[in-house]
Amino acid sequence: MFEKEIRRKSEELLETKTVDMVIGYTSGSLPFQARPVLISSPEDTEQLVWNHFSSPNLARYLLPYRDSSKKIALLAKGCDARAVMVLIQEKQFPRERVHIIGLPCPGMISKTKLEKELGEIKEEDFSFEKDTFLWQGKKWEIFPFLEDTCSRCRYPNPPLYDELIGEKREPWGSSSTDYLEKINGQSEEERWQFWEEELSRCIRCYACRNACPLCYCKECFAESDLPRWVSGVPTLSDNLFFHLGRSMHLAGRCVECGACERACPEEIKIGLLPLKVEMIIKNNFSFEAGLSLEEDAPLLTYRETDPGEFIK
Amino acid sequence: MKNNWEPKIVAFLCHWCSYAGADLAGISRIQYPPNIRVIRVPCSGAVNPLYILKALREGADGVLVSGCHPGDCHYLSGNYFARRKFFILHELLQWVGIEKDRVQFSWVSASEGQKFSQVVEETVEKVKKLGPAKKLVKEFTFHV
Repeated sequence: MFEKEIRRKSEELLETKTVDMVIGYTSGSLPFQARPVLISSPEDTEQLVWNHFSSPNLARYLLPYRDSSKKIALLAKGCDARAVMVLIQEKQFPRERVHIIGLPCPGMISKTKLEKELGEIKEEDFSFEKDTFLWQGKKWEIFPFLEDTCSRCRYPNPPLYDELIGEKREPWGSSSTDYLEKINGQSEEERWQFWEEELSRCIRCYACRNACPLCYCKECFAESDLPRWVSGVPTLSDNLFFHLGRSMHLAGRCVECGACERACPEEIKIGLLPLKVEMIIKNNFSFEAGLSLEEDAPLLTYRETDPGEFIK
Repeated sequence: MKNNWEPKIVAFLCHWCSYAGADLAGISRIQYPPNIRVIRVPCSGAVNPLYILKALREGADGVLVSGCHPGDCHYLSGNYFARRKFFILHELLQWVGIEKDRVQFSWVSASEGQKFSQVVEETVEKVKKLGPAKKLVKEFTFHV
């Protein structure tokens, strides 16, 4: 899994003082988990890991260093690199201070799905290969165990990088729209029932917002006192208000990394809302976030031919 | 109760066109239903999608946003930006199962008093068909 190459490269970057810090993954406190780690001395690079559980979006961890002078190397999967692109474009981080180590993403595996399918599992029993793993002497396909957000991934390869470790790969083939298609085909009442059930579980812990690499407002509208848009009490209507508002704020910016969905303690399919917005934008304004540094964000520009039939 | 229920509709009207259009309707004594509560905004582009959600949250049965015709914006392009925003919001609201006609949009110029009254009539009629808003209406009151 290129772990050695990543460690060696990080060590080299730190030793030659090309960068002041490497942001990567290390083993989490529980099995089948990886957590972000900030490394600033070459000998600590041994801690770095890269596996099917390195799911947190590391672009999030650039933001505290926006106003510092540190040069930072960042391990970036497809979605992380796209998020970095949006941050650069929105002038939240200068391109020259970030060194992107691109990693074509092997797909992140959901621990919950593994446990559900295989029962009690131990980390040492698993050995992962390309798109498959061995467990109890049997070969399993990885795809059914992927995080929902990863199985619908369209860009596993980072679109922007300073160097690439590993081989570029093809997307899994299940397109994002498949996920939405099911809901698209439903009646208004069915769609409402679906979202009513999903969002009434929301406890408004804001984990989705805090995990999102692009939710960087100093004061979020959900917590603003003047004006007070929404109460802090997790009622259905206010949950819906929050998630709709957040999706609108992410319009044309969401990179579909699914950090929000994976962060959700209630396992709400919260990533679908910004994803839907992205699909509306892709289909009508032909724009996708985080793929180019030059193209204007869709809400910062317009065309005279934009759809307008919905206006009387 | 149901029979004499009248919807409350919040109307965000742009200062330069639709508000003047409403004014003209008034001056010309054109009749239209009294269900709208007008909020004057500098430009339809100044209408934050959160305003619309907030109006629904506070119990409006419908929202109407009206601005200058494309190409006629006082600020040249405000309504083009607005159109993109509203398009996304409109599609998204429908997708989560909120009735399509709760939130309506129109272009009304300063000389279209007649059109303004028609737009309001149409809006009110559509919202009446839907009945009182329930989704998105707050369940909890707070004091600021």
